[in-house]
Amino acid sequence: MIRPQLAIAGLTACFGCQLTLLNCEAELPDIADRFNFTYFPMGMSSPDITADFDAALVEGAVSTPCDLETLVTLRNRSRLLIAIGTCAIFGGVAAMCNEEPRSRLLRTVYGPAADGLASFNPAPLERFVTVDFAVTGCPPERGELLATLAALLRGTFPALPAYPVCLECRSRENACLLIERNEPCLGPVTRAGCNARCPAMAVHCEGCRGPVAEANVAAELELLIAKGVSREELVRRLRRFCPEWDYEQRA
Amino acid sequence: MSSVLKISPLTRVEGHGTVHVHFADGRFDRVELAFVEAPRLFEALLVGKRFDELPEIICRICSICSSVHRVTSLYAIEQAFGVEVNQQTELHRELIVNGGQIESHALHLFCLVLPDYYGLRGFADLATVAPGLLQAGLRLKAAGNLIQEMVGGRLIHPANLLIGGLGKPLTTAGLHRLRSALQEVLPVAADAIEQFASPLLAEVSLPFPSFMAVANRPSHSGGEIVCGNGSSFPIVDYRNRLTETIVPHSHAKQCTVSGESPTVGALARLNLGARLGPVAIASLNRHGQKLVGDGITANSLAQAVELLAAVERALEIVELLLAAPPTDCMQVAVTPCQGTGTAAMEAPRGTLIHHFAFDSRGICTATDIITPTAINQGAMERDLGLMARSLEGVDRQELARQLEMLVRAYDPCISCAVH
Ligand code: SF4
Repeated sequence: MIRPQLAIAGLTACFGCQLTLLNCEAELPDIADRFNFTYFPMGMSSPDITADFDAALVEGAVSTPCDLETLVTLRNRSRLLIAIGTCAIFGGVAAMCNEEPRSRLLRTVYGPAADGLASFNPAPLERFVTVDFAVTGCPPERGELLATLAALLRGTFPALPAYPVCLECRSRENACLLIERNEPCLGPVTRAGCNARCPAMAVHCEGCRGPVAEANVAAELELLIAKGVSREELVRRLRRFCPEWDYEQRA
Repeated sequence: MSSVLKISPLTRVEGHGTVHVHFADGRFDRVELAFVEAPRLFEALLVGKRFDELPEIICRICSICSSVHRVTSLYAIEQAFGVEVNQQTELHRELIVNGGQIESHALHLFCLVLPDYYGLRGFADLATVAPGLLQAGLRLKAAGNLIQEMVGGRLIHPANLLIGGLGKPLTTAGLHRLRSALQEVLPVAADAIEQFASPLLAEVSLPFPSFMAVANRPSHSGGEIVCGNGSSFPIVDYRNRLTETIVPHSHAKQCTVSGESPTVGALARLNLGARLGPVAIASLNRHGQKLVGDGITANSLAQAVELLAAVERALEIVELLLAAPPTDCMQVAVTPCQGTGTAAMEAPRGTLIHHFAFDSRGICTATDIITPTAINQGAMERDLGLMARSLEGVDRQELARQLEMLVRAYDPCISCAVH
């Protein structure tokens, strides 16, 4: 079997998506055997970004000219470009205050020195290049990443869940935090695949996997506002991982 | 004639960094260590958020140290609101921080540093050249991750650790599972130390570091930070002691204490007298000599000793939790009020400080985050300069290799440093 050439890169992010790959401890030797890590600065020295890649896995949002250069280079060099993690797909945490002027955020941290910094609003990869496949999550689930690598070896992509977290949560028979405890759980509008990790610990879903397709955002807001949660808080929570929601959207 | 040796990107480290060595007329001139990581501006993002949102956001600063970021923020917020948590919550927090330490040190030692001992590109080559050692490291790493996943509910960015308590405590069955996993890797951790006892770096005389670490007692917010020269200061006083300056070539601020660039991390902790269990003390006694006198060189060895110590301590905590009577309510009521909170903890790479100010509704009005790699930045750049000067005349490729290994000895976490 030929060994696919991989590029694994991080842009504006926490390196959690790349670490998730290294966290597949049981599978890592096997993965090393089946793929060439031609460009993976976090894991391997002498990275070669000028190679021809079969797939580039890119973590993080785009917020600097340097990010953009890496992204465009990888898009040009790679047959497939795969966005890994919420930041690459939706913008993620770094984008949560995108409605505020970037210069003000920069000045809060760096003072007047901020003016020399090349930094723009963190944006998802799709804003700049064509993305062939996406594995969401903050961080992504190890299983979904492994399924993607396994599928790559067979020249395809896996089918990942396209339904909301509630579906997994109900099948685990958790007590519903939204209905029974009036908590601002984002499970109804968030893409599943995590097996409702947080609600299973009685912690409401923070929406880290981003919006599910056809999310009934308007109903979620109405339901929670009726329960006494402020719209301001809900919008703030929704924006934590994805700055652009359609608050009027109904399924 | 001037020329520049560019190491870009730095590899086998967490985050985006570069080293530029400037030469004038063939002689070493100066070195620039640049953390070019894109700033995510966490200190600005957190302003305007409600107190209970902070831990969930702040752990995203870094994947490798997400557990300790989360726990440090909890202590800082609890200090602001006068909240004290029960013993079991404390133990869960200490357990996950040890789990993070195991994972982080194992990753660094076995996946990022070990390839240098064999002259390899990385972990993927180890899989064929030294599969047994790689497996040993991955088993240790998996044990640390098992702790993080079981206590935190997710192995990066834990969700189960809350202000005033816990979502769901570990079950007896879960504790038994952790106990057997940790018992299995304890001898692996003990054996690993020998591997990292021999130095990697060229023999260059590096200055004795100005060590700094959080004192073991009494608490993460009420405690002290101790320095190698015997001085110490209360955590809440950190702003008057640590000076942060913006350097034009790096996105991370540089830290100094009384004009000196401190060194934090495993080597600092061991030199400043960290509390260790008997198994770790025995190994420290065997190798202790090597931990002094060679600058940062022995930091990997110090991490290997700490890896063993963390497995040992995690086992102790599991026993304590097994012996403790189960409590139903793990959650203390939290009422926000106007105030500030500061906490400091030892993250895998050294001292981590979180500081928050809140208004009367518990909305965050100001934040300050100081991370270990930002603290180490100055010492790292100084040592790079010293090494480049001493190795003048050595061919550029070898110089680059040595400088990269020196950076790796510090185990930088650049996404933390810039945040
Ligand atoms: S707890 Fe949250 S995720 Fe679970 S069913 Fe209720 S709303 Fe959905």
